[in-house]
Amino acid sequence: MVESKHKWKAWLYLSPAIVLLLIFTVWPIINTLRMAMLEGYNGTAELGGAAFNFGIGNFVKVVQYAKFLTCLKNTLLLCVLTVPLSTVIALLIAVCLNSIKPLQRLLQTIFFLPYVTNSIAIGMVFATMFNIIGNNIGGENQLITTAGVINNFIGLFGVDPINWINAGSAYWANITVLVIYIVWDALPFKILIFLGGLQSINKQYYDAAKIDSTPKIRVFTRITLPLLSPMVAYAVITAFIGGFKEYSSIVGIFGEKMGPAGDQFRLNTMVGFIYDSLASNQQGLASAAALILFCIIFAVTMVNLYVSKKNTHY
Amino acid sequence: MKRMKRVLVSMLLIAAMLLSVLSLASCRKEMPNFEMPEGGYDGSEVTIVFYHTMGQALQGILNSAIAHFNEYYPNIHIEHTQIGGYDDVRDQISTELTAQRQPNIAYCYPDHVALYNTAGAVVTLDQFITSTQEITRADGSNDILGLTQAQIDDFVDGYWNEGKSFGDDKMYALPLSKSTELLFYNKSFFDQHGLSVPTTWEEMEAVCRQIKAIDPNCIPLGYDSEANWFITLCQQYGSPYTTLDKENHFLFDNDTNVNFVKELRSWYKEGLVTTQEIYGAYTSTLFTAQGEGEVKSYMSIGSSGGTVHQLPSQDGDGKYPFEVGIASIPQVNPQKAYAISQGPSLCIFQNENPQEVIASWIFMKYLTTDVGFQADFSMASGYVPVIESAKNDPYYQNFLSKADGFDHIAALGASICLAQKDAYFTSPAFNGSTVAREQVGALLQKCMSAEWSEDKVDAEIRKVFKDAIDECKYRS
Amino acid sequence: MTNNVSMAEKDIQKVSAQQRVLKILSQVLVYAFLLTAALTVLFPFYWMLISSVKSLAEYELAVPTFFPRKFQFFNYVEAFNTANLGRLFLNTLFVGVVSTVLSLIITVLSAFAFARLEFKGKNALFAALLATMMIPGELFTITNYLTVDAFGWMNTFTALIVPFLVSVFYIYLLKQNFMQIPNELYLAAKVDGTTDLKYLWKVMIPLALPTLISITILKMMGAWNSYIWPRLVANDPDMQLITNGLRNAFTDVNSGKTNIPVQMAAVAIVSFPLFLVFIFLRKYIMKGVSRSGIKG
Repeated sequence: MVESKHKWKAWLYLSPAIVLLLIFTVWPIINTLRMAMLEGYNGTAELGGAAFNFGIGNFVKVVQYAKFLTCLKNTLLLCVLTVPLSTVIALLIAVCLNSIKPLQRLLQTIFFLPYVTNSIAIGMVFATMFNIIGNNIGGENQLITTAGVINNFIGLFGVDPINWINAGSAYWANITVLVIYIVWDALPFKILIFLGGLQSINKQYYDAAKIDSTPKIRVFTRITLPLLSPMVAYAVITAFIGGFKEYSSIVGIFGEKMGPAGDQFRLNTMVGFIYDSLASNQQGLASAAALILFCIIFAVTMVNLYVSKKNTHY
Repeated sequence: MKRMKRVLVSMLLIAAMLLSVLSLASCRKEMPNFEMPEGGYDGSEVTIVFYHTMGQALQGILNSAIAHFNEYYPNIHIEHTQIGGYDDVRDQISTELTAQRQPNIAYCYPDHVALYNTAGAVVTLDQFITSTQEITRADGSNDILGLTQAQIDDFVDGYWNEGKSFGDDKMYALPLSKSTELLFYNKSFFDQHGLSVPTTWEEMEAVCRQIKAIDPNCIPLGYDSEANWFITLCQQYGSPYTTLDKENHFLFDNDTNVNFVKELRSWYKEGLVTTQEIYGAYTSTLFTAQGEGEVKSYMSIGSSGGTVHQLPSQDGDGKYPFEVGIASIPQVNPQKAYAISQGPSLCIFQNENPQEVIASWIFMKYLTTDVGFQADFSMASGYVPVIESAKNDPYYQNFLSKADGFDHIAALGASICLAQKDAYFTSPAFNGSTVAREQVGALLQKCMSAEWSEDKVDAEIRKVFKDAIDECKYRS
Repeated sequence: MTNNVSMAEKDIQKVSAQQRVLKILSQVLVYAFLLTAALTVLFPFYWMLISSVKSLAEYELAVPTFFPRKFQFFNYVEAFNTANLGRLFLNTLFVGVVSTVLSLIITVLSAFAFARLEFKGKNALFAALLATMMIPGELFTITNYLTVDAFGWMNTFTALIVPFLVSVFYIYLLKQNFMQIPNELYLAAKVDGTTDLKYLWKVMIPLALPTLISITILKMMGAWNSYIWPRLVANDPDMQLITNGLRNAFTDVNSGKTNIPVQMAAVAIVSFPLFLVFIFLRKYIMKGVSRSGIKG
């Protein structure tokens, strides 16, 4: 690293970024702290002249709220399920893509498609595919108008229609749909990263392995994976940060009620919780929840960084 | 480590400096409080910003109304914008209020007004309504600033009262255009099987059973909105729902309500009824379904604003598969009928320039009392006028006279709405009343559709009610 | 003897034939897997496209049709007509281009400072920047709204551009990229008396071009997809961006019904330019995104 004699230069280069960040990021964070510490803070009421006590009441109210734990549980569950799953599938697709010649470009383009679309709109498409229209599904007086594309498909294999996302659907069914959608949504970025990584691996390693006639599985675990580990670490860390902010995929499928009919907010997440508080004009609670979320993400990222430092090969 | 600390300290210092500068700069301006100036409207040039949710067609009608309005008041310029849906209007304005950038007039629901009022942002209308100040219009004719007694009486009572449902007896909003819920039924099917249209919920239950016996592969009744069903039943039974009492807003957890929810659950489980959310699609599509063997409904309760969607599509020869009949929704006590009132009202926001506020009132008065605009707007939107004299508009009369269960279904719906004008009610509006609405809707969905073993139903329903009350309290 | 040889040859042939079969089989499996995955990825798009040309009545059929009975391209016209599309495109393009250019300048300068210069508190500052990435941005909306108002930027393009110029994510991306460029190059340039900026322009930027291009794409996509902020600060029809304008086509508040086919058409319209950009710049995006992962 170069020891610059003109240290002020570094600050000069950084100054536009720092000034803008101070105004549009640091100041809002400070304001968030302020709102979090004013009990029951509400913007319009403040406008009307209301005063608020200083204290940790917002945090207490958020933590004691019965559904806060549900939100936390959903967020964690989705993270734990989707991050490994999407990483493994993306890795598989990337390795396969890397091993073929014809159609490679076309398939690459197809796998990148989800990246350039609005996730809420595609979520609506998923919702219609899984939607089962009818009454008393699974119950006594069952009446099904249409079972949906997915149920029609699994019906070909003799499976009874499953109530995926509608009234009376099971929690695991909801989570399955969400996991499918989130993984689908997360694939392109990961495939792209892994494919780029694979293509930059020096061919000599593989040639050496070929001469030794090392089995393919071994080549994968001993050469490909270690050399790809920085990308995997990067993908997993960003996926966890993104996963903790999961929100729009649930809105896409279940709408802003964040759950199937008859069980609203069952699938709510931390960010959804923050949004709800903002929508009902409780900026104090929203700020407190956001700070709690920040602490969680921060801790998880630190753990991730620590683990990846230990297992990443450069 | 020491370095880091120093950097952190200096960063914090910079942030603190910035904070003080910014908080000075963004120091919240005082919300103005409108007072009527001596001479009323002085004829000065003002621009009125109007937020609404009208689509293209309705905006066309609004534009021609504005052109007409400008013949009288050429100096009042109206700038109107569609801001998504009703909730978008509310969110937009509540953010804009923090910087005092709110519009002059906006579409509103009572709970929006309650929210804006926490910031003291809505101008009370009483001072205008009672004003007898003379205004000379551009065409030389004279008018008073306020409303005449005849004009006040012309408003449908239920709609008018909504504007003062805030507990202080002051008027905050004027109705613009209203809708309610109607019972749509398959008239051809009813006539063929000699069924009579239910007027009470008891009759409804019986008719549903009869229909189910005729066509077992059907859901006799689809109800569009669970929340409306719950709130309307509270009103019809006379059981508490919410009040304006700040200490205890939410009263809907009571025996009457638990009982009717339990009853609705049994209807659902029997396959007699469904609702939009539970069914998973618009209940109107169920009603208009016509194919052999398709699941259908023969009755549908939905918004009068969506009347045209209850009409089945024509076949190749332009013939409709069945005739649609429309009636008032069933009642608990037909002697004292109630139907929910929905649809936008208008409110005026505080502004530094009193002339803008008065001009806003003049425009608002025009939109709500002009017979031509009220009639045109109603014919295009499927909503009903808020003043009774709109019925006398020749175009509107002509429109109503064609009412039938086919092409002119909108007119049929409108005429039913007009005929039941004494039935309209609105529930109390306060900051948080939408939470109650959301919660009772979700409650009904859950209690109707959840799988509970028979012996646990009572306990479970009680628990759902209690959770809903807790949620309301937490969120308001 | 000959017999033996031919036996051995046969064995070898047999083995290589087996290998060939295995190879073909594995290739078939790989293709089958990839094609199935590709179809799964494509199906929602297919569904979106066919829905966008269905009539409302057909869309609402109880049993959905997999291929539209009648193509109703009018949906696209309707999605177009509800908004002044030319104006919206121009506005979005303007905001997108200006904010991308400014953002690139800021990002390059900051990434350079972090990657090549040594100064007090560098690591602490960088860690602090990374931490800001973890806060949900929605919380900033109200405060930033007040700030923008205090600056008098309401209903100007400035309000749409300036608040989002700095992205810690991009700085991070580019810094990683810069750090891969050997330090010797910089030292040599210093000895030659090349200024920092010249070195940046002549050496670093060309080497980091793929990353810069992918930042450009991401930034443009941001302008294309942003919705809530523009609606708040630039309500004026002359300032509206594309999603805000198109959104009007979706909601028919008065009937309480969403015309989903038209909505799908609008989504297709919005996605199409991005798709084209991707096709044309695929090579660069690929390089850019993948490089950022190295040395994480």
